[in-house]
Amino acid sequence: MTLKALSSRKGGANRTGTAEGLDVMPLRYGDDPYVWACWLYYEDGMTQGEIADAMGVSRATVNSYLADAREKGIVNISLEPARLASLTIAQELKRHFGLADCLVVPSDDNARPLIDRLGVAGAHALQKLLKSGDTLAVAWGRTILSVGEHTNIGSLQDMTVVQATGGTTASFAYTPELTASAVAQSISARCVNITAPAIVASAQMQRMLLDEPLLKEQFAALGRANRIVFGISSLRPNSTIHTSGFFESVSLQEYLAKGAAGVVAGRFIDERGKPVSGPLDERTIGISLDMLRGIGTRIAVAGGFDKVPALLAALRGGYVNVLITDAATGGGILRADGVTSLDSRLSPRQKPVSAPSSYRTHVKKFLNNPNVVVEEMLDGVVKAHAKHLLPINGSHRALVARHGPRVGKVGLVIGGGTGHEPCFIGYVGKGLADAVAIGNIFSSPPPDPIVQCALAASGGEGVLFVYGNYAGDVMNFEMAAEIAEEQGIPIRTVLTTDDIASSPLEDREGRRGVAGNFFIFKVAGAACDQGLTLAACEAVTRKANARTFTVGVALEPCSMPQTRRYNFEIGPEDMEIGMGIHGEPGVSRERIRTADEIVDTIMDNIFKEMKAAPGDRVAVLVNSFGATPMMELYILFRRVEQRLAAKNIVIEANWIGHYCTSLDMAGASISILHLDQQLTELLHHPCETATLTIN
Amino acid sequence: MSKDAPRSMAVMFQMMSQMIETEKDYLSELDGAIGDGDHGITMSIGFLAINAELAKLDLGRASLSDVMSTAASGFLNAVGASTGPLYATGFRHAAKALVDRPALDLPTCADMIQAISTGIRERGKGQRGDKTMLDVWLPAADAAANAAAENKAVGAFWHDVVISAENGAAATRSMIATKGRAARVRERSLGHIDPGAASAALLIRVMADALQ
Repeated sequence: MTLKALSSRKGGANRTGTAEGLDVMPLRYGDDPYVWACWLYYEDGMTQGEIADAMGVSRATVNSYLADAREKGIVNISLEPARLASLTIAQELKRHFGLADCLVVPSDDNARPLIDRLGVAGAHALQKLLKSGDTLAVAWGRTILSVGEHTNIGSLQDMTVVQATGGTTASFAYTPELTASAVAQSISARCVNITAPAIVASAQMQRMLLDEPLLKEQFAALGRANRIVFGISSLRPNSTIHTSGFFESVSLQEYLAKGAAGVVAGRFIDERGKPVSGPLDERTIGISLDMLRGIGTRIAVAGGFDKVPALLAALRGGYVNVLITDAATGGGILRADGVTSLDSRLSPRQKPVSAPSSYRTHVKKFLNNPNVVVEEMLDGVVKAHAKHLLPINGSHRALVARHGPRVGKVGLVIGGGTGHEPCFIGYVGKGLADAVAIGNIFSSPPPDPIVQCALAASGGEGVLFVYGNYAGDVMNFEMAAEIAEEQGIPIRTVLTTDDIASSPLEDREGRRGVAGNFFIFKVAGAACDQGLTLAACEAVTRKANARTFTVGVALEPCSMPQTRRYNFEIGPEDMEIGMGIHGEPGVSRERIRTADEIVDTIMDNIFKEMKAAPGDRVAVLVNSFGATPMMELYILFRRVEQRLAAKNIVIEANWIGHYCTSLDMAGASISILHLDQQLTELLHHPCETATLTIN
Repeated sequence: MSKDAPRSMAVMFQMMSQMIETEKDYLSELDGAIGDGDHGITMSIGFLAINAELAKLDLGRASLSDVMSTAASGFLNAVGASTGPLYATGFRHAAKALVDRPALDLPTCADMIQAISTGIRERGKGQRGDKTMLDVWLPAADAAANAAAENKAVGAFWHDVVISAENGAAATRSMIATKGRAARVRERSLGHIDPGAASAALLIRVMADALQ
């Protein structure tokens, strides 16, 4: 098997070389050149050139053996788990919070205190990030002092370090003055101290001090900072913020009561990172949160589980763009922010089923919050089509035609999942459907909005439900019909089953309803509007359904807004005939052919079922699945018309465009309604909806 | 014990929701192979809605039956689709079975699982072998009934139930779908685990974790 793969992959030039190589292969490697190459490379430490000589193959072949061996799993390169985890967490933190960079210290060696390990990591970051001529603002704290103690960079010129806040009593080792000067020494920088207390007695005193020319000069230096390094303080009871004496504990309680979750450079923020105001604000001398956020490189160094809420707040508030922390804290931040994917990536156990690689492709979409796409769309729909539609009892999931229901008329209720726009909302209005129940993407609405629609549509003559034949819709509409009938509204139901590719003729009732809905809804709406009885409306709608034939062809899959991933795969050269409007796989997958050949296949299938005689009249709908442009639809229509004309079948009316889509699927469907006198009249009956107006 | 039972059941629904959130993409991928790829999302929406409704319930006063019927209506009104009526009907049946049952002892758990599967079967008009969630719920219900009849210990009871459920889900791989959207692809559904069966097995596993 290996040999077969080898020979099929190999180019002619190497073929002889390989054959020779195999001849000289030592017995212990069996017939596997991959294992041999790997052994020589990883165990014997030979270069690729030496291996090529030893094996009698080209260097390029050796190179591909080694690469393929990794793919085949002959060679596994493993990183030490703790280091891998910290890399994974760092990458995920960077991605999740959009950080410029992130360094995560492995949690494994607890031999050294966390504060030292963070100091070393911070030093490493400064080494990488600082450039000659920088002005680095430095906030106070134990961790930042540790960074200063571990940093030793002698190669930078014209460096300035500015203390980011005023000073404090020297009762502890990490005062702002000491922290700043430690960092300044470590990078051979000029140190600018803020020569005022961090917290002064009154707001008046603060204003006076800030007016002092010396302080103005020091703040101007702070204003020039292009980088800042700072710690994050938790407000939890054992935090240094309480023991440091930086703040008075009375004031701290006030900030806590207002939801403060952490302290960044002496300023309080809540769990979303918003500033929390309090009595100390006007008495603090130091960098403001706005100033901080204006600095280009904002390096936070902090770790420890108790700091997770404070770190999360600082990250959410955008105060940090370079984060240095440890693996336990980093993992905690991600979990606290609802990133669950991490656990599976950190655990060595594989997921039971791995997804095909193409499922990983994310599709670009216009989105705000993917979880409320339907709500946001319906907000737009209700505003855009206020002329035709009205929410029922304020709900956007049940809409009634503004000039639809009236006493003495059978009500028409349609509905289904979203993602098919303009179906179904576009077909609600005077002369067409009276109400529409709207579900989630590709999901039936629940019974409640359907019942609301039935109540709103009822004019005392009963209500007709017309919807596509899908298990979910059937169950929900059936439950709704039971409830509506209990409330005294007679309900009749017609399931649309126009997709002739979805099931063989013998199982006509099992077919699904697709773009042919357009014709069936039109006929049903006209019948209701003409004042036919419920039974007559049902009968003619059934006839329209029986005489509507649709076949769709998909070229590319659709992608769900929530996942922004393709729902299924269609090969690069393939198309799928009979694809459903929810992306249900079609009946056959074939190589893509020319537009005319595709139309011919579709029309041949339709002609097999539609018993049209020369002179008969039809209505034609060429419908895009979403991504296919009008240009291609016209090309399809061109051939449809040729095929019909050749059989002397007259096109009474045609529609070309987006009438029943499947999100962003590329593809199209062709629907033919085989008209008779009654259906022709109903088709031309006036209606006024968002998508279809007939005068 | 009995006072805590409704709370345990509410916690069970929370854990179910967490499990579904974790496995959402996996379920949608399974569905993408033979259906429309939304099963993970649908289940996620449904269980989030259940928890939102349960959060409004005073668990100190609610009965087991109240918790179940709240879950049923929460799920139904949020989801629709086919999963909505199926689980809503299943939970509603369970709510009936749990009337006047103060504690989650094993016979009660067995009856609850039985009621859920009966509800699903009646609404979906399906049976074993259709390649649906019933291929998990029906064997799980049988296993629960047998284990309860044999007076098995708690651990053994749930072990039997979970094993039956997981075997049931795995068995759908070799079935041809006859219900729902997967039915449209006929023999092409072979080789794929039914997403509804996969999620049902996940729910039963969580149920076992939560209630034992």
